[in-house]
Amino acid sequence: MTTTDFAGRRTFLKLGAAGAGALAMPGILRAQDKPSEIIVRAWGGAWGDALKEGVADPFTAATGIPVRLDFTEDNEIKPKIWAAVDQGRIPPIHVNWDTTTNATISALRGVTVDLSDLSNLEGLLPLAKPTGLEGYPLVNTYAYVYVCAYRPEAFPDGAPDSWTVMLDPKFKGRVALYDDGIGFNPIAVIAGGGSFEDIPGNMEPGYEFYRKLKENAPLLGEDADFTTWFQNGEIDLACTISVNARAARQSGIDVEWTVPKEGCKVDTDGLWVPRGLPANEEHWAKEFVNFALSREAQEKWCSLLGLPPVFPGIAPPADLVGDPSYPTTPADFERLVSVPSPVLVENQPVWFAKFSEIFQG
Amino acid sequence: MRGSLSKRIAIWGLVWVSLITLSLPTLIVIGASFTAGEIIRFPPEGFSLRWYGELWQLDSFKAALARTFYVSAICTAVSLPVGTLAAIATVRYRIRFRNAVQVYLLLPFTIPLVVSGISMMIFFGEIRILGQLWPVGVALCIINLPFMIWSVSASVNAIDPEIENAAMNCGAPPLQTFLTVTLPAVMPGVITGGLLMFILAFNEFLVSLFLTDSRTVTLPVQIYNSIRSVITPDLAAVSVLYIAIALIAVFLLDRLVGLDIFLRSK
Amino acid sequence: MSHMKYPISWRLLDALEAAAAVLWPARMRRLTAWALLAPALFLVGVLVIGLGYMVEYSLHELDLSTYRLKEAYSLTNYQTILDRPVYARVLGRTLLGAVLVTAISVALAFPYAYAIVRTPSAMVRKALLVALFLPFFIGQVVRAYGWLIVLGREGLVNSALAGMGLPTVDLLFTYPAVIFGLVQYMLPFAILLLVPALAAIPEDMELASESLGARWTSTFRHVVIPMAKPGLIGASVVVFTLTLTDFAMPEILGGGTSDFIASAIYDSFFQISNPGLGAALSMVLVTLGSLIVAGVFLVAGTGTLGVRGAK
Repeated sequence: MTTTDFAGRRTFLKLGAAGAGALAMPGILRAQDKPSEIIVRAWGGAWGDALKEGVADPFTAATGIPVRLDFTEDNEIKPKIWAAVDQGRIPPIHVNWDTTTNATISALRGVTVDLSDLSNLEGLLPLAKPTGLEGYPLVNTYAYVYVCAYRPEAFPDGAPDSWTVMLDPKFKGRVALYDDGIGFNPIAVIAGGGSFEDIPGNMEPGYEFYRKLKENAPLLGEDADFTTWFQNGEIDLACTISVNARAARQSGIDVEWTVPKEGCKVDTDGLWVPRGLPANEEHWAKEFVNFALSREAQEKWCSLLGLPPVFPGIAPPADLVGDPSYPTTPADFERLVSVPSPVLVENQPVWFAKFSEIFQG
Repeated sequence: MRGSLSKRIAIWGLVWVSLITLSLPTLIVIGASFTAGEIIRFPPEGFSLRWYGELWQLDSFKAALARTFYVSAICTAVSLPVGTLAAIATVRYRIRFRNAVQVYLLLPFTIPLVVSGISMMIFFGEIRILGQLWPVGVALCIINLPFMIWSVSASVNAIDPEIENAAMNCGAPPLQTFLTVTLPAVMPGVITGGLLMFILAFNEFLVSLFLTDSRTVTLPVQIYNSIRSVITPDLAAVSVLYIAIALIAVFLLDRLVGLDIFLRSK
Repeated sequence: MSHMKYPISWRLLDALEAAAAVLWPARMRRLTAWALLAPALFLVGVLVIGLGYMVEYSLHELDLSTYRLKEAYSLTNYQTILDRPVYARVLGRTLLGAVLVTAISVALAFPYAYAIVRTPSAMVRKALLVALFLPFFIGQVVRAYGWLIVLGREGLVNSALAGMGLPTVDLLFTYPAVIFGLVQYMLPFAILLLVPALAAIPEDMELASESLGARWTSTFRHVVIPMAKPGLIGASVVVFTLTLTDFAMPEILGGGTSDFIASAIYDSFFQISNPGLGAALSMVLVTLGSLIVAGVFLVAGTGTLGVRGAK
């Protein structure tokens, strides 16, 4: 018997027990009808591959329900779900894999289903619990770091020790950021001469840093762009989630990453289920989230991503032992910059607007 | 073309610039689709049909292709009668507020597609038809309707009104005149417009992006989403499919009405 | 039994005619045109209703604590557009792009259209037409994808440069790349709108001019171009408005730093979830486009765009 079979069998028993419990309540009986599929919005490239292999395929093996990954952009699905919930239509997806900040915004808008009754929540790291919200309108699934990824060939003297290297004219047109500055906005403040305490009250040092960086004509893109740009040799340096750099490295491209002295932003992603689904679909959507929090799924999914899971006691993948992009101890987190979710929810739209104002000008 | 050598050099020089600009991406995409490698680069690594094979294995591709045909068919089916009648009405009949009507019928062109797409997303959501496939076809018909009206009205303009008058004078009642004289005479415009509407719908991605979700996604939207994430050679194979369909359309247009239909002045 | 001599189609037509006379009696004839127009008016009406929603949205400010639009009416969104210099700059970039693309496209389209009309060889004409229609029938996304392959770091152009021992250049994700992609997209539109206007010019006119000793350049300047004016206006207006509102080329070939106003609208709706601001930007774009087109029509006439009607 293979490991997957074993995992599948165990989960099946668990789900069976949940089903038996529901049998006692005739009203919910219909809720157990299996839907024809579960649609999970996901990020593409290495991200989607990891979710498919680590969670979706094992879930299908365990329950018989096919999982479809929908690669609609996270920003695009958000208003579509909001409108569907407001207008009483069935939302376009069952589960949203989302940044914690965006998920919190959707939770504030009241379009998420409470997940407090999921059996696998018990024993997870405190990171799993969303901050500033009641209960579990979403659940965090892992942490990740916006590292400083670079091509060693372009840095013969070793890893860059400060983010200010982005301003070096030598790298004109060869530096990349996310197209809304996500993951770098707080860091820019510190690199621009400010301090962590300035966030969010005084972001001016960060904006000043951006104005200087603009002279260096950075490329702006999304997750998969970074992998492609590294693959095609179009950039030397990027602030991107370690997953994208690791994906480029795994495809044979020479890419390294580091945490410069100013630090790197650490954040979390989560899963949530939109309101307004038919009862049985909502039930199985929640089962999918529950499954993603099981030890087996967390281990597989997060090791494929190369990110620290919220399930405790899982060893890092061999290539990431001691890696700064894989924080596990409080000391690891100490080196990183973590901005609380409520601060991000309130201020991130302003930062994004300012970012595009500077770079679109 | 007659004229001096300098004229011929100037004209044909610029024509060649246009020819290369127009054809280069098409030729490159075709070349790239036959690569055996994992990523697209030049020169391509080896020659193979592997990306076509992989494409054909993809159920999501086949489903999206079928949906695209369905949406384009609805768009064409709706626009044929609607556009033909509107064109005949604007050209053949005396209408009060003619200018206002023409400005109104040009709204699909003057309103930016991104605005049309988002506003139809809002409206279709309000009347609870968002998420189904047929409204996408209707929406594509709306945004491209002026093309249909133009094609037909060019043909209507080209018929001599005296022919219709002659039919009427010989005692043909109005419906008969319409069916046996007017309609056959505008057929080239109707065929051209219909082909155009089908092709435009088959390629449209922006309005479709707002009106579809993963259950109803069409091929152009899927290509756009893929370009935004990872560029793989299977996209080149999909693009070649589009090139093939464009070739078929050009062939049909040439056979049915002649490509030089656009050469005739109104 | 005399009517049996008539073919069945005649009788069918007679029946239809009788039915039409009952359903649409002669006294309704005045309204026939409106009846024929009704379906088109109805379909385009969907856009008008949609625009109505946009106007309504644009008058409400976003409440950041609930991410819903506030109940109260206000002009805050329009004020925001005026206050943030970024929107003026994006608008400026879009307008400049539209002017550049229009100028280049029309300049390239003119000789192409002229060659189609004046070439004596049917083969050459057919070839030019096929080379024109093929890209016209291939959508923007597929063509942009082609340019990604041609202009990329390891693309055709850079491989050729490297092969000649020259340094590679960054062609993609720049403003010129966007302009170039747009010109390629607009060229078929411009040619198709110019061809009928050029075809309407009798070749004898040119020959007469040249036989009187005019150089071909002055024949062009004083005879061909003035006579082709309706086509030039039509082509310019269509290319200008299509470029002004384009989304795909700046988005795909611009690398995120050469956004046009359509991207700003998209970003407002989706990236920062502010439908009010996005709707206000939409209204600005719709108004601007309509004003420019109306201005051109007033000054220069509708060119080939006007549909001639019964007088």
